[in-house]
Amino acid sequence: MSAALPGPLLLGARLLRGPAVLAGSCAALVLAVAALPWLSGEDPAHTVLRARSAEREPDPAALAAVRAELDLPADPVAGTLGWLGGALRGDLGASWVTGAPVAPTVLGATGVSAGLAACAALVALATAVAVLAPALWRAARTGRAGGDGAAATGALLGSVPDFLLAAVLLAVVAVRWGLAPTSGWSGPANVPLPALALGLPAGGLLSRVLAGALDAAAAEGWVRTWRAAAFGRWTLAVALLRRALAVALPQVLLLFIGLLGGAVTVETVFAVPGLGDTALSAVLAQDLPLVQGCVTALVAMGLAVGGAGVIAHRLLMGPALVPGALAPAVPRGRRRHDLAPALVAAVLLAAVAAGLLRDPAATSLADRLAAPSLAHPLGTDAVGRDLLARFGHGALLSVGTGVAVSAVALVVGLLVGLAAARARAGAGDVLNAVPPVLMGVLVASVTGPGPLGAAAAVALVAWIPLAVHARTLAAEVRAAGFFQAAVAGGAGRGRLLRRHLLPSVLPGVARHALVRVPHNTLALAGLSFLGLGAGHDSPEWGAMLAEVIGYVERAPWTVAVPAAGLGLLGVVAGLVRTDRV
Amino acid sequence: MPIAPRPPRRPAASLGAAALALAFLASGCFGGPAPDDSGRLRVGLAFPPVAGMSPYSDDAALLGRMGAVDALTALDAEGLPAPRLAESWEQADDTTWRLELRDDVVFHDGTALTAEHAAAALNHAAAAAPVPRALAGVELTAAAAGEHTLEVTTAEPDPILPQRLSSPELVVLSPAAYAEDPASPDPVGTGTGPFELTGLGGDSTATLAAFGEHWAGAPAATGVDVRFIPDAAARAGALRAGEVDVIDSVAVAQLPNITEQEIVEVPLPRLVGLLLNTSDGPFADPGTRAAAAAAVDAAAIVAGIYEGRADTAEGVYGPASPWAAERPEPSPRPEPAEPGGTAITLATYSDRPELPEAASVVAEDLRAAGFEVEVIVREFGALETDMLAGAFDAVIGARSYLLDTGDPIGYLAADWSCEGSYNLARFCDEDVDQAISEAAALTEPAERNAAALEIEARILASAAVVPLANERTRLGVAPGVEGVAEDPYERALITAETRRP
Repeated sequence: MSAALPGPLLLGARLLRGPAVLAGSCAALVLAVAALPWLSGEDPAHTVLRARSAEREPDPAALAAVRAELDLPADPVAGTLGWLGGALRGDLGASWVTGAPVAPTVLGATGVSAGLAACAALVALATAVAVLAPALWRAARTGRAGGDGAAATGALLGSVPDFLLAAVLLAVVAVRWGLAPTSGWSGPANVPLPALALGLPAGGLLSRVLAGALDAAAAEGWVRTWRAAAFGRWTLAVALLRRALAVALPQVLLLFIGLLGGAVTVETVFAVPGLGDTALSAVLAQDLPLVQGCVTALVAMGLAVGGAGVIAHRLLMGPALVPGALAPAVPRGRRRHDLAPALVAAVLLAAVAAGLLRDPAATSLADRLAAPSLAHPLGTDAVGRDLLARFGHGALLSVGTGVAVSAVALVVGLLVGLAAARARAGAGDVLNAVPPVLMGVLVASVTGPGPLGAAAAVALVAWIPLAVHARTLAAEVRAAGFFQAAVAGGAGRGRLLRRHLLPSVLPGVARHALVRVPHNTLALAGLSFLGLGAGHDSPEWGAMLAEVIGYVERAPWTVAVPAAGLGLLGVVAGLVRTDRV
Repeated sequence: MPIAPRPPRRPAASLGAAALALAFLASGCFGGPAPDDSGRLRVGLAFPPVAGMSPYSDDAALLGRMGAVDALTALDAEGLPAPRLAESWEQADDTTWRLELRDDVVFHDGTALTAEHAAAALNHAAAAAPVPRALAGVELTAAAAGEHTLEVTTAEPDPILPQRLSSPELVVLSPAAYAEDPASPDPVGTGTGPFELTGLGGDSTATLAAFGEHWAGAPAATGVDVRFIPDAAARAGALRAGEVDVIDSVAVAQLPNITEQEIVEVPLPRLVGLLLNTSDGPFADPGTRAAAAAAVDAAAIVAGIYEGRADTAEGVYGPASPWAAERPEPSPRPEPAEPGGTAITLATYSDRPELPEAASVVAEDLRAAGFEVEVIVREFGALETDMLAGAFDAVIGARSYLLDTGDPIGYLAADWSCEGSYNLARFCDEDVDQAISEAAALTEPAERNAAALEIEARILASAAVVPLANERTRLGVAPGVEGVAEDPYERALITAETRRP
């Protein structure tokens, strides 16, 4: 078994495989980027001209001039080979739009994004630990974790859209209180607001991962032994936290990479000159050299940090990750009647039912942005539509797509995560690093614009955190005594999977998938500006929220209604018990 | 089982990630100048530079708005040419214009402006690929005919050349600007404006210093610090928090939030209109177009979506063009047909927040009249090709009708002639084509304007366009700040007169 190899040897073997994965995935992505104009059917001369001069008529003479200047390759393969040839010589080319060399642009933007993403990841980690602090303390005292308060808080935080948080922080902290600059990237004072906007929701999601890990750790045999040996509560709490962080840290690194190219809306709100913003405008303008430069930087960092996640897990686990050293408790079911999620769900259902009785489409400019009243119990939006009606009619769509994407992600994530006998950075880390907008454009070119394409694009990325989660949990189960005993007893692969791996891995990963339901709904809405996702005027909650975000200060109710829907959905999802699955 | 396990003693590993993260911050990834507010103006602009401030791109207007450059001429409120670097001009013959330049103009690098410099600048612009929009379809060569006398020759007679030369794409920069790459001149330290562009912080910031030797005298402010803030709420927030003195493009949604600062409104030569596809689909039928035009309540959109901060459009040309106030009586529209559940697609873009809202309202209006409407909203870049190809039955768009020359005929040729390059309505009428080419040959601006209104009347009568609103631009100005330019062409903002209290 490879896990029995001494650390350095194993590391060496992994590093050798690294460059091959890097080169292969990079070449594949560069080819996909080079094929962008062919896939999208848009003339790059047109998109580049548009980026330089928004209102210039694209007459044939202008297009011909741009085309001659771009020196478009004859086909994607030739383009890829040409680009790779240049890249090997250290020449990443020049941007088609600005003519500036790509390498310094990408390097500068990567530095900015890395700083912001690192701070956001720290905020997320701190938030998750803070949310879990009571549960941790109780686990150290009584040897039992759990607690619905932390679960609800985490799920609620996890369902807050980052762009909503950004708008609120801007209006309240920067403008009203004057505690931080409103936007820009000229000094450390510019960091806290975007880092909080990105980090707090991520911290909510992370706390659910940590909670699962803490539950499992608290049930392990050594906790009893330590308590019997009269170790202090602090000592025990730190040890438990470290055990839980081993599972959570790969998620933090994943988050870091996802934010490098994916923090577009928050970067835009705070005018942060980061990689997400650069990649977005480059993809829309089909500025292929710049897109290729961004993708290369992101993939390289994705693989490096993905590998670091594996190593971090090993380091945190230390000597415990060899067979038989760890004794995760055999999973046990719990019997409890869950009142809280039922109550929240009832509130949600009542609001939805009330909304379904009303007309969601009727506009009335006289009632534009009306505050809640008897006629409009939740107020109206910017064209005077009844928010309660839209809330109700959008419920099925919002919950349905979010749950469907999460379900697909859960299945794929489990399959990939459990199949990976040896943890290493791979395709998941590469996909995770690809900017969402590029993914959206590529998928849309295959499926055509529409909600299905958007769901596919989101699902393509949504399985990755779940797969990494399943992989880290599975690695621990494989090291457990009962698993080794089953292997020694001659259990077949199927039986090992069914009786030993799944029961230990599934509850935590399923819970993780559930709290990501609102997150998926928002990711879908994020692609709607490309014409993907729910159609215009659709009362889908994420799309509703994106439409009215400009009115957050004037008419907070317009934003509060869909945000509350997503929040309640998050709480219900977060409180559903998955232990008995 | 070990009997007495040792408590963990390696917090270092878990802190490793934190240290790594902090290292990124310490590596100095911040850019931009430290603000200095000793009489310097602080400005927040909506559109960041797209091409490293090359004047052969949208950045040209930015250079003018920051006060870094001058063109040979300017446009006055009536759209007529006014002196700038050129003091006077005359038509020497059909294809040649002669301009007398000021003799007291100095570039920021100390070079004195001569006709040679101006001729070189124009020839560089004419050789740019693609040619700047102001020169599209014009073959132009310039030569010095004296130290301060410039001769500009065009292949075809060009009655609006002086207006054309007001375009910010045709600004005159010192020879040093073209030395490295004539296709992308560098305006840093090479302009003639009241402020010298001294530094550019990527697409985040720009720094300008007052230029004491400006031909119109030293500017009131000691310098300008520009921040590019694309997000409307963040831009308004910067003004409200006192971080900047002037912002542009205040969104309608932000207006009620700005309570302690002044909002300056300037009518723009820009039409928000519902364009109906006259060549394919249901709107090829004039009666169906008339039914749609009758169904849409434009005044309600101006009052509701624009909250009265735009003008109800009576035609294409709006209040930014005073000559359009008296327009000929429009011919009656065709008799409206009964839509009877006709299914149509209505597209618009999300880059201007008011357009999707207007689309929702127009769609409801049309549904009430008996159409079945599917609304498509995409980012402009993702919509434009389909829009130009006529993939939709109706489009709501915002479009400048004076383009880069201040001349109303160029817009008609691009948007309303059979071969027009921006003919979103896919409108083709031989009589209108004939009228447009006749109007383009007129030499007197007043005649051109009158001809434009005649052609506008024919287009309106065809119901190919339903005018919704004439837009205004809104500037946010901090208390006590004076002298901000109110330019309907959006070419000037910070001038020599702009000052802080």
